[in-house]
Amino acid sequence: MTSGRNRRQVGVSEAMIESFGDLIFDWSHNLQVRHGDPIRLRDVAGYEANRVGAGLSDIEIAGRIGLSHQQVTVIRNMVERRRIRTDTYYRLNSLGGGRRYRAEEEAEAEAEAAAGPADDRLAESIRLDPARVRGFVEGGFWAGDTLAGWLDGHARARPDQVAVQDGERALTWRELATRVRDIAGGLRALGLRPGEVVAVQLPNGADYLLAYLAIAAVRAVMTTIYLPYRQREMQALLAHSRAAAFIGLADLKGFDPLDTVAGLQGGLPHLRHVIAAGGASPGRPSLDSLAEDGAAARAQGSRGIEPGQPVGADPLLLLYTSGTTAEPKAVPLTAHMMLGNARLGAAEHGFTAQERVLSLAPFGHLFGLYSFHLALYTGATNVLLPEFSPPGFVAAIAAQRPTALFAAPAHIAACLGGGFLEGQDLSCLRLAILSGAQVSPAIAEGLAARMTAGSVSQLWGMTEMQAGTYTRPGDPLAIAAATAGRPSPGGEIRTVDPDSGAVLPAGAEGELQFRGPGLFAGYHDNPAANEAAFSADGWFRTGDLAVIDTGGNLCLTGRSKDIINRGGVKFNPLDVERLLDAHPKVAQAAIAPVPDPVLGERACAYVVPAGEPPTLEELCAWLTAQGIARTRLPERLEILAEMPMTATRKIIKGRLKPAGT
Amino acid sequence: MARAKTPVDPGAAKEAILGYCLKKGALAAGVADLEAINRIAPPGHRPADLMPRVKSVISLGVGGQTQGAWTLPAKAMAYFGSTETRAYGIAYGLSFMIENRYKARSVYCPPDLDNEEGPRVPLQSLKLHAELAGIGARSLAGDILLHPEFGYMYFASVFTELELPPDEPMAENPCPAPSCVELYRKQGRTPCMKFCPAQCLSGSIDAAGRQESMTYEMSKCAELSEQYEALPHILANAMAAGDGPAGSGRAREDVLFDPDHSMFWYKMSVGSGGLLGQCFECMRVCPIATQAPLADPIRRAEARDAAAEDGAT
Repeated sequence: MTSGRNRRQVGVSEAMIESFGDLIFDWSHNLQVRHGDPIRLRDVAGYEANRVGAGLSDIEIAGRIGLSHQQVTVIRNMVERRRIRTDTYYRLNSLGGGRRYRAEEEAEAEAEAAAGPADDRLAESIRLDPARVRGFVEGGFWAGDTLAGWLDGHARARPDQVAVQDGERALTWRELATRVRDIAGGLRALGLRPGEVVAVQLPNGADYLLAYLAIAAVRAVMTTIYLPYRQREMQALLAHSRAAAFIGLADLKGFDPLDTVAGLQGGLPHLRHVIAAGGASPGRPSLDSLAEDGAAARAQGSRGIEPGQPVGADPLLLLYTSGTTAEPKAVPLTAHMMLGNARLGAAEHGFTAQERVLSLAPFGHLFGLYSFHLALYTGATNVLLPEFSPPGFVAAIAAQRPTALFAAPAHIAACLGGGFLEGQDLSCLRLAILSGAQVSPAIAEGLAARMTAGSVSQLWGMTEMQAGTYTRPGDPLAIAAATAGRPSPGGEIRTVDPDSGAVLPAGAEGELQFRGPGLFAGYHDNPAANEAAFSADGWFRTGDLAVIDTGGNLCLTGRSKDIINRGGVKFNPLDVERLLDAHPKVAQAAIAPVPDPVLGERACAYVVPAGEPPTLEELCAWLTAQGIARTRLPERLEILAEMPMTATRKIIKGRLKPAGT
Repeated sequence: MARAKTPVDPGAAKEAILGYCLKKGALAAGVADLEAINRIAPPGHRPADLMPRVKSVISLGVGGQTQGAWTLPAKAMAYFGSTETRAYGIAYGLSFMIENRYKARSVYCPPDLDNEEGPRVPLQSLKLHAELAGIGARSLAGDILLHPEFGYMYFASVFTELELPPDEPMAENPCPAPSCVELYRKQGRTPCMKFCPAQCLSGSIDAAGRQESMTYEMSKCAELSEQYEALPHILANAMAAGDGPAGSGRAREDVLFDPDHSMFWYKMSVGSGGLLGQCFECMRVCPIATQAPLADPIRRAEARDAAAEDGAT
């Protein structure tokens, strides 16, 4: 079928048939539904309303659903085969239809055959509820967005506008598209197959974006490795993701990721390639050499045909949760989920092609990638700052005049606390979006006070769904400073009683649950985590505690796993932690439960001292003076030299254990 | 020196063209509004996609089954029911006639499916042309168009660069017939819905007796009538069946010649090109298809004879 290619070669997994099959079957000419008699009445509006019911061609379905034409044909045939008593196979390509010709189809098939079969391990793991898929497609939340499609669109629409400004290095949209195409060609020549995972550990530079776009262009899947990770973490992630290639720098502050990964290759049977970014590395392929190989292959290609183009249903990212409570979990995400979320978010944030976007969040983190997705969708310029420091940030503001800023509260706290924003001209900033951790109102208000021509937004998101909720530019500062706003388009939030699962009314604190078109389908290869992650009715249990106000705004109040159950009396220690942080002898504090034979759990304070360590009595006296009830006081104190933190600067409470346990 | 074209009177040309169709055996003919087609047909399926300078779309219909066909058993009906080739022959002749008489380029519109776009997707919708030309209206029986006088017809289209005044769609839809409405009120189904062997039709009729909704499960219909599409399945099953006990070949033989597949092999041998609705059972029970005043060639002949007698007297 389809020029002799089988379904694996055109990228159709069993999961894809399950997810999209019913919708394709119903939309095709298998089922004709008509309301009224609109054609005879020349009622064009009525006919348009009947359009889908009249049956769509495979090409029309492909355009609406975000799959390739060949994928739709194969899925439809497979579903028909199962639903119709006699099998139905259709001979294709007997008529060109002005779209594709047999020679092109054959050349494409040859190219794919040379590349080898796709790795459909991840695609098979993304199993979606067909009814929700239908809603996402029909609602326009999934519209077949791909990074390649967006990039090519801008290369045509605004070829000479700067797409990426990395220090002195500027790439226009045309240059970016050409470079990506060449690197993608090099990756193919290297033998990288669709569906395979490529790990990237790079700072926020142009090479990161080039690598990401090229990986997506060959329908491979990017997994990110945080910059602070070293051999142990890298080995674990490369093994779990079964990465086929690693892209990194030869020198990362004295650490050599390339040599490190090359040294691990013996124990990583799937890892075939170690690729250098940031220039050549002797004996290894580099992004530069791949681009040369790709350009040469393109120049020599007889027909210039590239294998199948990316589609919305392709797995795009395999990201690992930051894991504040346990071992990281792998989150496979499709282009449908990620890019639809960004496309619709762009309008909500008021993004245009005139934007200059600066992300202080690393691209290794989904918040950083969200900023790139927004910029890539709108055609905005990405202003890059490889490494955050308050002086570097201030200098970038002055030199690059960004209009949209993506930052974690810690970034802004560091700038405000050090006085780095005093006297700075922030009039270029139209919008600052804060996310990545709970935002204290003081930080949001402090930044807003220094932005003379823009507003602050707060965003709540997770690796599992990218941007979940956010405040909008027109929201009052009181809302933007105190809440994470309302759901992204198509998203829904609710709070439930953690014990009974009952949905709570506005204003009541409960476990936050989310669902929507951006939400992942489940952790990869982790049934136990999936069992716990979703409610019986399909909502994602975020693990956060929250209140939803009467305006629908989300206010995070803590982590449900942080709740301390002291003899049946449960309390959230977040406010106690904040008060401890303000104690003069405390540099950093966290409260976690310790098992107790009588009460079940008691609160233990873990403190990194600012100098002389405080005593438990001193801390309790301090808290009591601040109005904290006796039952919520810590009953044990552990002094730590260093707090266990994730790469994204969150405390890993799962690692907080009393000494000797 | 360029040849000067003789000015053509569009109204007179249309009359001559429609007259040609009727003379050659069409029961009805009309001109569809090109602008309306363009507004309804999706891109890639508009007349200009096939013929860039098209100015007019002519649709014609030939009679469906003879009365004898309705008396055939169901299986035989599947092979004898199709009469569409007659319509294509008239359309082919018409395109010659227009070029020859009016020096305007014309083409007989192919009825083919665009297989690249999926099953059952035509290059051009002949039904749409016919409906806009006012010679058929959508029925509750799936893809079938009905005409109040001629019942069930097969349609063909001609595209031409000659500009002709368009016709209007029918003022009224003959479907559902009053007797069908009556049955629907009693049983919730019209005759076509009730007697479809594959139960592929369903729908509703509003309080005024008009079509409210229609659902046609084409895959069910195909299950019954598109046996030719089963070839890969039959061959795959035959290959998988193996040789059977002691290499007798019995299992494979059973697959290839079992009763479910016998119609397929028969169709292969006679070269039938059945697509959908080939069992015709919905039309066998349709009062419009079988009993419209001029749907029956025998009654048409009687009417013609009566008219001749009237003329003679």
